[in-house]
Amino acid sequence: MNAPVKVLLRGSSLLALIVALQSTVVASVDDAQSFALQAAEPYVKEGFQVREDYWGGDLGSGEKKAVRQQLFKGNEYWFWLGTEVERAKISVHIYDSDGKLAEEPDGWEKGHFAAAHVIPKTTGSYFIIVNVEESPEERTHWALVYGFR
Amino acid sequence: MTPFTKYLKLSTIAAGGLTLCMHGAQVPQHIDIKQLSKTVEDVVVPLPNEIFGALNKLGTVNWKEHVRNDKGSNFTERPRIALLLGTVIADGFIAVQAEDAPTVKEIGQRVLALAKGIGVGNSITPHAKAIIEAADKRNWDSVRQELDRTQNSVQQAMNEVHDEKLSQLVSLGGWLRGTEVLTSVVSKHFSADGAELLHQPDLLSYFQTRLQAMPEFNLPILREIGDALVKVKPLIDVGNARIPPESVKKINDITTRLGSGIVTRD
Repeated sequence: MNAPVKVLLRGSSLLALIVALQSTVVASVDDAQSFALQAAEPYVKEGFQVREDYWGGDLGSGEKKAVRQQLFKGNEYWFWLGTEVERAKISVHIYDSDGKLAEEPDGWEKGHFAAAHVIPKTTGSYFIIVNVEESPEERTHWALVYGFR
Repeated sequence: MTPFTKYLKLSTIAAGGLTLCMHGAQVPQHIDIKQLSKTVEDVVVPLPNEIFGALNKLGTVNWKEHVRNDKGSNFTERPRIALLLGTVIADGFIAVQAEDAPTVKEIGQRVLALAKGIGVGNSITPHAKAIIEAADKRNWDSVRQELDRTQNSVQQAMNEVHDEKLSQLVSLGGWLRGTEVLTSVVSKHFSADGAELLHQPDLLSYFQTRLQAMPEFNLPILREIGDALVKVKPLIDVGNARIPPESVKKINDITTRLGSGIVTRD
C-alpha cells in the first residue's frame, strides 16, 4: 500500500473513531434526557408545560451539581432528573437563594429517575441540586428537565 | 429507543408509583450556597410565557393591547437578526395569550424568515408549519410548545456551528420583550406581587456577563442594552425589599425604548 493511501486510511479510521466516540458521548446525554422526559410525561396531562431546554452532563458516584434557576411566585414547577445508567441511584432537591430547602414533600426517587416539586414562595433564584448517589459507572450521564404551570 | 421499550419504561414508572421513595426526611434542610459556587451551571433563561402565566394568576390581563403587529426592519447583521428573532418569538407568546390566531400565523412566517436570515431556517421550517397549523385549530398549548421548540431548535442550530453568542442574543431579545410587557401590565395595575416578578437579579447579571463577552459585535443597540442593564440592576436587585411602582415604570420606559431600538433600523 502506498504512503498516501495508508495516511488516508489511518486518517479515515481516526475520523471514524472520533465520530463514533463523539456520538457515544452525545447519545448518552441524549438518552439521559429521554429518561428525564419520560419521568415528566405523566405530568403533561396535569397541565405542566415541559421546557425543551435542559441541563446535562456527567458526574462521578457521590458527586453533586448545582443548577441555578429563576422561578416565579404564582407558578408551580417540577424538575425531573434522568440517567441512562439503570443501576444508578440519583436524586434532585431544590433550595432557595438562602440555601433553605424549598421543595414540597411529594418529590420522589426511583433508581435512575428522580423528581422534585416546588411552589415558590418568592420570585427569585433557586438552586436545584443534582446528585449521583451511587452508580456502577465511573461517570454517569444525567439530564434535568423542568416543567411549569 | 423503540416505542415498546419506552412503553415498558413508562409502565415501570407507573407500576412503581407505590414503591417510589418519597424523599424529605433525610434531605438536608439547609445547604451552604457559597460552597456551590464552583459547581453551578448556567441558568436556563425562562420563557416569556413562564412570566406571563404567573402574571395571569394575579388578575385578568388584556393581552390584546400588548400584541404587536410591527414586523420590524430587515437587518443584515446577524446579531441584530438574533435579537429580533428572540423578540418576535416573545411576541408569539403574547399573541397566544391574546388568542390572536392571525397574528400567531404571521409570527410563524416571520420567525421562519428571520431564522433563514441567520442561516438556521432548515431547523425551523417544521416548527413554523406546526405553529401555523396549531393556530388554525386554536390549539394554544400546542402553539406554546412549538414556540418553545422553535427557540430551542434555533439555539441548538446556532450552538452546533459555534454561534453561542447569537443564541444568547435570541434569549436576551425574548427576555427584554417579556420584561417590557410585564412592566407595562404591572405599571397599569400595580401590585406588589406583580412587581415581585421582576426580581430577577441573577438573570440580569447573566445577560450582563454574556454581553460583555461580545466585544466583536460592535453595534450601537448592544451598547445601549448593556448600559440599560446597568441602570435596571439596582431597581430589581432589592433583596427582600419590595419593588416600588416608580421602579416598575422606570424599567418599562427603559425596556420600551430598547424594544423600539431592536425592531427599528439605526
